Amino acid sequence: MNPSFKFLLAVLIALEISFTSTWIVNLALAVIGLLLILTSRPTFKRLILLFFVPLIPASALAVAILLQSNAGIHFALVLFTRIYAYVFVGSAATLTTTVSDLVMSLEQNAHIPSKFAYGFLGAFNLLPKIVSEVNIIRAAGNMRGQALHIWSPQLYFKAILASLDWSENLAEAMTSHGFSEEAPRTYFKRIRVRWWDWLVLIGSLVLLQVALFGFHLQ
Amino acid sequence: MATIAVNHLSFSYPTEDGQKPLTLNDLSATFPSGGFSLLTGPSGSGKSTLMKIISGLYPKFSGVITAGEVRLNDTKISDIPESDRGQLVAMMFQNPNQQFAMDTVERELIFALENQQVAPDHMMARVDRALDYVEITDLRHRQLNSLSGGEKQKVALAVIIAMRADTILLDEPFASVDPVARQLLLSKLSRLQREEHKTILISDHDLEDYDQYIDHLFVLNGTGDSLTLLDQKAAQQKMAAFQRQDTSNKQLQLPTTTDQAVIAAHQLTLTAGNATLISQPAMNFFKHHITLLTGANGTGKSTLLLAISKLHQYSGSLLLNQNEVAKMHRKQLYQQVALIFQDADQQFLNVTVAEELALSLKNSQQPTYFMDRIPGFLKQLHLEQLQDHVVYTLSGGQKKKLQILEMLIMATPVELFDEPFTGLDFTSLQTVMAIMKTVAHDCQQTMVIVSHQLFGLDALVDYHVTLKNQQLQYVGGLA
Amino acid sequence: MKYSNAWHLRDIILLTLIAIFFGVIYWIVGPVYNLLTVALTPVGLGPAANDILMGIWVMAGPLSGYVFKKVGSATLGEFLGSVVEMFLGGQWGASTMISGVVQGIASELGFTFTGYKRYDWFSLNLSVLTTTIVTFGWDMIRNGYAKYNIGLLIALFVIRLISTWIFAGVLTKAIVKLLDRTHLMQTQTR
Ligand SMILES: Nc1ncnc2c1ncn2[C@@H]1O[C@H](COP(=O)(O)OP(=O)(O)OP(=O)(O)O)[C@@H](O)[C@H]1O
Ligand SMILES: Nc1ncnc2c1ncn2[C@@H]1O[C@H](COP(=O)(O)OP(=O)(O)OP(=O)(O)O)[C@@H](O)[C@H]1O
Ligand SMILES: [Mg+2]
Ligand SMILES: [Mg+2]
Repeated sequence: MNPSFKFLLAVLIALEISFTSTWIVNLALAVIGLLLILTSRPTFKRLILLFFVPLIPASALAVAILLQSNAGIHFALVLFTRIYAYVFVGSAATLTTTVSDLVMSLEQNAHIPSKFAYGFLGAFNLLPKIVSEVNIIRAAGNMRGQALHIWSPQLYFKAILASLDWSENLAEAMTSHGFSEEAPRTYFKRIRVRWWDWLVLIGSLVLLQVALFGFHLQ
Repeated sequence: MATIAVNHLSFSYPTEDGQKPLTLNDLSATFPSGGFSLLTGPSGSGKSTLMKIISGLYPKFSGVITAGEVRLNDTKISDIPESDRGQLVAMMFQNPNQQFAMDTVERELIFALENQQVAPDHMMARVDRALDYVEITDLRHRQLNSLSGGEKQKVALAVIIAMRADTILLDEPFASVDPVARQLLLSKLSRLQREEHKTILISDHDLEDYDQYIDHLFVLNGTGDSLTLLDQKAAQQKMAAFQRQDTSNKQLQLPTTTDQAVIAAHQLTLTAGNATLISQPAMNFFKHHITLLTGANGTGKSTLLLAISKLHQYSGSLLLNQNEVAKMHRKQLYQQVALIFQDADQQFLNVTVAEELALSLKNSQQPTYFMDRIPGFLKQLHLEQLQDHVVYTLSGGQKKKLQILEMLIMATPVELFDEPFTGLDFTSLQTVMAIMKTVAHDCQQTMVIVSHQLFGLDALVDYHVTLKNQQLQYVGGLA
Repeated sequence: MKYSNAWHLRDIILLTLIAIFFGVIYWIVGPVYNLLTVALTPVGLGPAANDILMGIWVMAGPLSGYVFKKVGSATLGEFLGSVVEMFLGGQWGASTMISGVVQGIASELGFTFTGYKRYDWFSLNLSVLTTTIVTFGWDMIRNGYAKYNIGLLIALFVIRLISTWIFAGVLTKAIVKLLDRTHLMQTQTR
């Protein structure tokens, strides 16, 4: 499926189930999401994480409803399954698309300005460096006898300064690699929108409405 | 082919209070078309600034041109549309990181060609050729993040070649590149100049190896108000001063049995991604000695220093004063070991030079020793006038000097230096080494220094360890 | 100093980097959230963990607003951060992007109400207030807060307000103060 369409669909589904309370639909969405995730052949570790990470907020919300309100078990179930639907539907989109494909699709199909597409992509590709940079900032503090905590302004200050420096380097390098905000570009890899992208998008949404309405009547 | 003409150029980085101190003041010079020019000058003289102006990045990204202009083949730089500029002038930066927008080597090359609106059918041929030219075809599908500094610089050159830029500017491109890769890149550049008539301008502090390649040597003076082309004789003299004194005959001692280990590795394995960098049955670094650590780009020197500082995972055992590094608390660990990062900015915590020094002195393990010596050190390093300066706007060399000084002030028993001498001009280099030697002796420190540049190091270090084929080994020779 | 409303390549990279940095810092704190939630769940107060740490989560918004002083910067900053978080596989999956927009708009409102003219302690506090109210409203819907008894609801709101004030207000102000002294942000004008 076209990456832009895929993400649009995922967000629309998430939005819709935020306002509805049908746990069967949530569950069905989670199952469909899971099946799609399995097609991307995730590692066993990732799969385990995928099951356990949502467990904490999901049970926290469900237990809170049971103990702190009189909304009853049905609503607790709705909240619980809703979180799983969010995560599995979201992961079904992210695990089957690379960020660079998404960005190229957004540029070519959704026509967002290329400066947003490549600015985001360039920054995103620095992610591994960012993780080690945060550790380095904290170590640099310790090495000078100053512990940096989550509430220390210096921690964020250093992070922003690194961002400032890197953004300048990256913007200059991209400019030097011929990137220009206004100029048109050619595309080596064409990302197309095909008729069945529309079909899947609209079809899924229609199906979702039908399901929600159907269960709502029951 | 393009002639770069600098005419009465003045440039300033405006300060917050509206003042406009001139970083470059009335400079004029012509870099001849098809020539290979080398630009040198003390730290902070404005070489990087000048190069960014020539490549059209300034004043777009920073500062203002207060007078004069730069012309490329008689066209003012500012009059060249941005999208055509890539064909005319391309720049390779000192910092090999944050130079690429995409994730893999191939995609970065394609990105550059797309920007130039090359037809998709022609792209692959140009990518193939560029990679082949720099001899990095095997890196084609690698993640850029996983490349060593030297490899990244090769990729950067490949991008420039694919873009077919006429004029190539290189701002200290070899600062993090080993001698072998440096030779390779230099010979590639020289071939580009001879066979494809590119105009090449390169800035460097280390003039070693250049004499067989360059046509012109330009010198920018310390205050940025005079840019001169040296004549043949003066150029020869300047280069001769840099002839790597033959380091091959310099001999160092090997550790003796009485030496006491401060860092001890047993069955140590270091990996990055799926590559094994170091696999070491046993190895020690010795107390109160200065040890030089060398090895080609990407062999894992930085990774080893990071592992000792608990910033990279390892398997096996790595003991610091008999304690397992991985099990030590950060606070306790960093009182015993400090890492002087390759990138000076990572070391700073405060805003001004004075604040940085004050913080170090406050938490120093030898405050009384440093209290009276700091002014002297600052003077020797030419930092005394910069006390109120914001650290992040110092020049590369100034930052490096400040960084080394403030970490020496901490007087941590074990200090690990990751390429501390890059970006330092000749005199600064000698001063820094002298100060390091004095402090290490007086404060009884242990130092491990990673360095590609070996000039004058025989006077500083006691031992030499090489990293090759995943093994660390003590050797007697310096080269 | 004059700020223009146009977004340039460098601003976009910077904004995204800041958002990712904050996401990573939060992520490193992530375990705290989990521990806190696990500890509070048995008494039915699990969601309180969310409110206690809310401030760290929404910091990127007011900070971007303050740093860039452009229309839409707070929203964009939070949104970009949430996209990254979704790719990292966060706990809220596809709803992360929606929350990102909601939080972004929420903190943006503080600057909107002052016409993007005032960037001071007042507008920052206003942003803290709008952030708390709007995100709380969103949690009433998404996380079923609406069904809680009124006492708990008020308690959660107050906790969230305090947390947001500490992180998105006080801490953000301290960070901006450090930044201003470096004079490095002035390059943002062009
Ligand atoms: N963004 C900036 N804002 C203000 N001043 C700056 C900025 N960048 C550089 N400078 C100042 O301009 C001068 C020239 O710096 P530049 O980086 O061009 O020197 P350089 O010759 O390349 O030095 P090095 O050899 O150390 O790299 C220095 O004094 C530096 O402090
Ligand atoms: N994810 C990864 N997958 C494969 N290899 C990786 C990965 N990350 C890093 N590497 C490799 O690990 C090595 C890291 O080397 P390190 O930076 O320690 O080298 P170095 O000896 O300090 O080199 P230099 O002299 O360039 O500073 C590089 O060769 C790099 O290619
Ligand atoms: Mg420089
Ligand atoms: Mg290294």
